[in-house]
Amino acid sequence: MSEVRIGVFVCHCGSNIGGWLDVPEVAEYARSLPNVVFAQDNLYTCSEAGLSQIKNGIKEHNLNRVIVASCTPRTHEPLFKRVCQESGLNPSLFEFVNIREQCSWVHMQQREAATQKAKDLIRAGAAKASLLEPQEDIYVDVEPRALIIGGGIAGLTTALTIANVGFDVKLVEKEKELGGLLRHLYKLYPSNEEAAAVITPRIEAVRNHPRIEVFNDSTVRDVRGFVGNYDVIIASDGKEETIKTGVIIVATGAEELKPQGLYSYDGQKVITQMELEQLLADGNVSATKVAMILCAGARIPERTYCSRTCCMTAIKNAVLIKKQSPEAQVYILYRDLQTYGTEYEEYLRMSKEMGIRYIKYSLSNPPTVSDGGVKVYHELLGRELNLETDLVVLATPLVPHSDAKELAKKLKVPLEQNKFFLEAHVKLRPLDFATDGIYLCGCASWPTDVEQTIAQALGAASRALIPLTKGQVKVEPIVSSVDQDKCIGCGICEYLCPYKAIAVFPTDKGDRASTIVASCKGCGVCSSHCPMMAITMQNFNDDQITAQIAALAAV
Amino acid sequence: MSLEDIIQETKTFYCLDCGKCTGLCPVSRYNPAYSPRVMLENALFGFQDDLTYNHDLFSCLTCYACSSKCPGDVDYPLFIQKARALALDAGQHGDCAHSGTVQSLARLMSNPGVSQNRLEWLSDGLRISTQSDTMFFVGCAPYFEHIFDFDSGAIDAVKASLKILNHCGIEPVVLPNERCCGHDMLWTGDVETFRRLAEHNAAIIKEAGVKKIIFSCPEGYRTFKEDYPKYVDIDCELQHISEFLADRIAENGLDFSEVKRKVTYHDPCRLGRHLGIYEQPRKVIAALPGIELVEMEHNKEESLCCGTSAFVNCDSCSKQIRVDRLLEAKATGADTLITSCPKCQIHFRCAMTNKGEEKGPDVEIEVMDLVNLVANALGDGHNE
Amino acid sequence: MSDAVLVIGGGIAGIQASLDLADMGKHVYLVEKSPSIGGRMAQLDKTFPTNDCSICILAPKMADCYDHSNTTILTYSEVKEITGSAGDFTVTVLKKARYVDAKKCTGCGECTEKCPAKAPDLFNMGLGTRKAAYLYFLQAVPRVALIDQEYCIRMTKGLTKDGKPRCGVCKDVCQAGAIDFDQQDEEITLNVGAIIIATGFDPYDPTSLTEYGYRRYKNVVTAMEYERLICASGPTGGHLKRLSADDRDPKTIAFIQCVGSRDLHHNKYCASVCCMHSTKEAILANEHDPEIHSYIFYIDIRASGKGFQDYVARAKKEYNVTYIRSRVAEIAQDAGENPVIWYEDTNSRQVKSMTVDLVVLATCMVPRTDAVGLAAITHTALDEYKFFQTSPLAPVDTTIPGIFACGYCQGPMDIPESVAQASAAAARAAEIVS
Repeated sequence: MSEVRIGVFVCHCGSNIGGWLDVPEVAEYARSLPNVVFAQDNLYTCSEAGLSQIKNGIKEHNLNRVIVASCTPRTHEPLFKRVCQESGLNPSLFEFVNIREQCSWVHMQQREAATQKAKDLIRAGAAKASLLEPQEDIYVDVEPRALIIGGGIAGLTTALTIANVGFDVKLVEKEKELGGLLRHLYKLYPSNEEAAAVITPRIEAVRNHPRIEVFNDSTVRDVRGFVGNYDVIIASDGKEETIKTGVIIVATGAEELKPQGLYSYDGQKVITQMELEQLLADGNVSATKVAMILCAGARIPERTYCSRTCCMTAIKNAVLIKKQSPEAQVYILYRDLQTYGTEYEEYLRMSKEMGIRYIKYSLSNPPTVSDGGVKVYHELLGRELNLETDLVVLATPLVPHSDAKELAKKLKVPLEQNKFFLEAHVKLRPLDFATDGIYLCGCASWPTDVEQTIAQALGAASRALIPLTKGQVKVEPIVSSVDQDKCIGCGICEYLCPYKAIAVFPTDKGDRASTIVASCKGCGVCSSHCPMMAITMQNFNDDQITAQIAALAAV
Repeated sequence: MSLEDIIQETKTFYCLDCGKCTGLCPVSRYNPAYSPRVMLENALFGFQDDLTYNHDLFSCLTCYACSSKCPGDVDYPLFIQKARALALDAGQHGDCAHSGTVQSLARLMSNPGVSQNRLEWLSDGLRISTQSDTMFFVGCAPYFEHIFDFDSGAIDAVKASLKILNHCGIEPVVLPNERCCGHDMLWTGDVETFRRLAEHNAAIIKEAGVKKIIFSCPEGYRTFKEDYPKYVDIDCELQHISEFLADRIAENGLDFSEVKRKVTYHDPCRLGRHLGIYEQPRKVIAALPGIELVEMEHNKEESLCCGTSAFVNCDSCSKQIRVDRLLEAKATGADTLITSCPKCQIHFRCAMTNKGEEKGPDVEIEVMDLVNLVANALGDGHNE
Repeated sequence: MSDAVLVIGGGIAGIQASLDLADMGKHVYLVEKSPSIGGRMAQLDKTFPTNDCSICILAPKMADCYDHSNTTILTYSEVKEITGSAGDFTVTVLKKARYVDAKKCTGCGECTEKCPAKAPDLFNMGLGTRKAAYLYFLQAVPRVALIDQEYCIRMTKGLTKDGKPRCGVCKDVCQAGAIDFDQQDEEITLNVGAIIIATGFDPYDPTSLTEYGYRRYKNVVTAMEYERLICASGPTGGHLKRLSADDRDPKTIAFIQCVGSRDLHHNKYCASVCCMHSTKEAILANEHDPEIHSYIFYIDIRASGKGFQDYVARAKKEYNVTYIRSRVAEIAQDAGENPVIWYEDTNSRQVKSMTVDLVVLATCMVPRTDAVGLAAITHTALDEYKFFQTSPLAPVDTTIPGIFACGYCQGPMDIPESVAQASAAAARAAEIVS
């Protein structure tokens, strides 16, 4: 290869970086590094202006390596790589140095130290960049099929949408019947429409759709493969079946927390909202003095989150009770009412007009339930109220299914701290997992109302349709490769690989490991454990990393 | 009317418990025990005794500072009006100011047999008739002349109003057997007395056959406009004199002599927030040559109350509200505080009579009714 | 029949819908009224609950959307007429004259630098000025300048006595020769199979809440103004300071919730995002200056999204943010131009006042003023609040088949919900044009 010519672009990221460390000084320093022929600072490297500066830099200074020192590769690396490619530079010759999350954000009040650290990281990045090699993109075909896990309103909606566009869908439901949570609800807010009237036609449509196959009473046993080429093993009736699918959608939903030990819960006089729904559906609510306690088991130290749907569920059920027996007195004991948006706020007003009364309590002074009554300190009135009751209803949060963790492990996707599934980016990629080809929607991700669940389900269908309609996906060339001369076929790599992306095959030299390129995520586990140092990570090879470390250590 | 009926009529159930009413309430700023929000919330939970036996039930100024901004659109002053009727049934009536004279007079007037010498104030220069289509409603001003130990200015405002009307070619009907409009009775919960007064007034107005009634007192105006229709028929056009004047000025202008004053205008609650009349008085002032109008910090929708309503619970809190308002007027640099309500004028003048008390700082500013300001500018200063 | 899709509105919802469809191989025409795509999200400083820099995470999407081989981006353009029905709509788009040749302009900024005429900077919510020859904002996409004909000297002042134009500096300095004073508005006709409306929101003007003194008091600003004030690319370069002449850095900030929301006198509904954006803004204030103490005046803290409760807890614990349950009654001002807040602390049931350095009004968000016009053009129904009418069970379907709505133009929601809905609208459109 000819002379290495590195260009360094140091980003202010507005004030995200520029506000906390001396960016021009960092850029000035970068200019002094070996092989660096050009360096400049930009207010926003990712803006159209910044990107054209990269393009100009490549052209005018004949750069053959580009370093951007900025925010995070998680959101921005694809963009900068694309710009390199557009300027005729192989994207593998791009190196990212993260000086926002590793410098400015963590050393906010230490300007000098943060500046120094940014210089160090760029020095290391430049050392590595000098050794980068061009890699070729890898393309794989996409199996034109979607597998959806969960047959509730989310899964059904996604299935119908993908099938309507013209792809086969396999729908896996662990219960005997489709319908999910909605099967246990009486009426839905804010329309007061019967849940059955909403879910039944969708179940019928799915059952009758020529492109959809439903697996009831079935669970996901194992998942192998990668975007476009997943093998999902389904267990049903003691039998196992492998389904080849291009994409997977997680629509497993959530369940109502059973408030064992809370507020004298007994399932008779103290019940949950979902138990109330059943009584309402059966026309079996005779109570005329009802208290509903919100945030039962939610927004407490051991479960800090707000479950979003319980306020409206409670208000809706209170309204239904009032409609059945207008003389009934219904109190709603709340902490913060979540009647966001247009319709819910209107629903709240309507409930007040019907005579439902609201009492604010605090976590530090919660209500107490005794036989025939609830005692509650109404914070805003400054007095204790003794409510006579013949029914107490607890609004408990939606919690993840206990098997979510296991499924996450099989799919190799993360859960957040409450064990809901964690999307790729909470702001801009709410329906994608970080793993390509796997998507999520509905309560599996977070408690959501029916409207939002349907929107997410349609959205997840859209996301999944992208690789399906493209028919081909590009795989990052950061994969392992095995030096067949060094490999001794011990199989440690195959045992350790979390993606089943490396395996030992018989060759004429004996057993030798080999990478299944499309499956490889480039995590490096195989490479770091290989006793013969026979495995190299493309773009993270030993020479590059050693150079990086050496540069870091050099002062 | 039950408490539940009151809740329904005033839409108390829409309360968001947000506290905007209480934060805006001029009484709550000085009387920490008083919270409109808590009053409503007590009602919602059926604590009727906490309302009816609450002395502060009569502290509300019914000024609408709360409800005009209430996000739930709860009609708190109406709630108070109705709750006071409940309280009266329970024998509660608040502390009547001026030894209850005003209330006693109203109740006396509600007796159909009582005859009054109502037109004693009428001086030679002022012309009234019995034939006009237009009536001028005098209100309680003739009585105020004798109740207060300071110059209330009330009857002067009546005279000024007549002078203005005469100047505009109107010789209005002024009824010698007119009664108190009943405003204070209604707002202190004595609905029965109010009803009798309303019926009496409606009957004599019908007999007089007038088509239009002009008021200089916003309380009478509001009562006729908003409250009478629920009890009696008044088939007349109703107008406050500031509206009348604004119309006249807009139509053909009036000749005014120069007024060398810097004034500020105090919106009476009844005219302002109750009826939404903010612009007409200002247009009238602006039409006076040479005058300078400056606004107080709180004006129009935000205007502050003069501190007492219906002559109940007039206490140190009322005094402070009043003094604060006068200080606000003073801070504008104006030499005159103009209002268009005889009660506001009385309360402000009263506040300036007992100086040197520890209840508030001395403050001195001329307080004048809009009609006096205008009448003076019409020449041959009747009143200056 | 056409398998192309028209997306109206180039904010995050419109961008996401366009990207999904373009990635599915559909041709997308994205029509944006302003000179750049990016929408409201481009104006925000950071986003809750991760404090991601808003433009930083948006810019790659803007670039992807613009550079995509399946998209045609029509900025500074408006939809004028739509005829036809699902599968076959004919759309007339008015492409307004920029007076700059988009093919030649390099976005170098020379014209802006030399332009002598100033205009209010709308991207910065009117805080500060920009030039008549300008780039909509720093990261504008496309990076093409334009000339504001309302403020351009040459276009407003007419000719001199000897028949010469009064200005032409931009044309003189433009090395690319891109300035074109003769450019005309252009009408473009498109044929599409489906339409997605994603026109977003306008902040509610709080002037009518006279008790809050907005415009009367300099140190009372709206949340959108605050976003620009604290943003590094904003009018103060990210230096958070008061707008009064004293130029002082605020040390106490009050955030007022529900300004014009949950209020029968203004907008009945809850704007859904203000509790969280105020929490974020208070956190950012403290990040800028650890001495800053913020107070958030609220009725109900609506923090029901992913990670929101923990975000609020962190604001209290780590960023000097105090939450006070009260709807602020009145804002006055003291002699030092400091806002004085009057309120009832509903937890202690006491009326209190608090003097602060700066007040930020979390104003309601309302449909764009032209939603009514667009509804007429598309024959779609609006709900009572003038959001595009959809139903809970078909959350992106308008009342006209083949026309979908997503994001805030359809009802209050935050960014991830808008993104999810945008993908949903893309899926529904794909069902028609597939």
